[in-house]
Amino acid sequence: MIANYICIPVMFVLSVLQSTVISRITLINGSADVVMLAVAAWGVKEKGFNTFMWALAGGLFISIITAMPFYIPVGTYLFVAFLAKILFGRIWQSPIFMLIIVVFAGTIFGHFFSLFYLQINGAAAGLMAGLQNFTLPSLLLNFFFLFPMYVMISDLRKWVLPGDDYE
Amino acid sequence: MKPVSPGTLRNAVVVFIVVGILFLAVSGFLRPILGVVMDPFVAAQRWLSERFMAVYDFFTLPRDVTALIQRNNELEDEVANLQSQIIQLQQQLREADILYSLLDYARSRPADQYIAAAVIGRDPSPFLQYIIIDHGSDDGVRYGMPVVTQQGLVGRIEAVTASASRVQLISDSGSTVNVTLQNQNADALVQGSITGDITLEMLNQNVNLNVGDILLTSGLGGNYPSDILVGQVVDIKKTENELFQSAYVQPMVDFKTLRAVLVIKNFQTTNISPLTSGTTMQ
Repeated sequence: MIANYICIPVMFVLSVLQSTVISRITLINGSADVVMLAVAAWGVKEKGFNTFMWALAGGLFISIITAMPFYIPVGTYLFVAFLAKILFGRIWQSPIFMLIIVVFAGTIFGHFFSLFYLQINGAAAGLMAGLQNFTLPSLLLNFFFLFPMYVMISDLRKWVLPGDDYE
Repeated sequence: MKPVSPGTLRNAVVVFIVVGILFLAVSGFLRPILGVVMDPFVAAQRWLSERFMAVYDFFTLPRDVTALIQRNNELEDEVANLQSQIIQLQQQLREADILYSLLDYARSRPADQYIAAAVIGRDPSPFLQYIIIDHGSDDGVRYGMPVVTQQGLVGRIEAVTASASRVQLISDSGSTVNVTLQNQNADALVQGSITGDITLEMLNQNVNLNVGDILLTSGLGGNYPSDILVGQVVDIKKTENELFQSAYVQPMVDFKTLRAVLVIKNFQTTNISPLTSGTTMQ
């Protein structure tokens, strides 16, 4: 029961953390996305569909803060949850490797989605400039925060779902 | 003559001997003899004293170490508390400096009314240049109000909740500010970008633009009050075959370290979109 709703306080805290702290830690123009990392970290260990709830909660909390339309963060996190669901148990039975692939694909998808939206709305958002200034630095920062987030989410899973661990 | 009694004679001999010994002792003639007698005594005393002090230390020193450790811990706690207080005071001092600067700016423009607000967050998307401030509609903040610091223009209120507001910075790709050059009568636009760089656009080719020129808001368009510092020209892009010249602009405000801002409360934004859409339709 608690596992179904633990995503709400966790995503609330992570959204606030993202807005206040993580978004200030920048590399060139890129920044990490701890909400996406949490969705991915939960998704690589989740057999059911609970990850989609994490993605929805994270997306909705972020959409309250950001000036982007709500479907950008929600769509990005749902994509991450969907990718984790598809890849679950298929890559050498190793959640870590799967997590790296999910975060890599999720970051690129989210950035292309955002750039596409900005270009439609008239911003001068070049694809190559976006890749160099935003996507690659963000990927690096995401990988930097990936393992601490994985450890935290793993411990959280052990707490809320004892005995249901996939290593 | 009365004969001297044997008792008196004996007493006189004893007194003479004692006085003689005292005289010899005072004169230093007895020192070798005293040394021979006292040295073993002092050595024994030293030996015993050392052993006793060792035993005494063995039983008493651990108690002292424990007390010292406790005292040391207390002092370390006190140092930690004082360091924490120093950090808090330094933080308050920095905030006070910022607030004094904002107050000076507000006093320099007495016609405007301000709401001071702290920056509590940034937009999570790296593509957007927005900040979140801790004042909302309950404090009188409304959509479109200009936001400034003592250094210059920051942006405008783009979204408001009861207790917080989102400010679109002038460096955002969706921001356009009408500006004028400080020393020349020439209007232009300052345009933001997704990387946060701002550029001067739509400036007539005939204007003699120089590096270091100061840009002020012109007040055109009705979105911002006039004569607020925006930035300084750092690099000029002038091509002969283009209609307008452009330039890179260094904003006056460092958006990365922004901690507190002033919202101009009494400025009424003008919605000219019906006019511009009418022009477009013609």
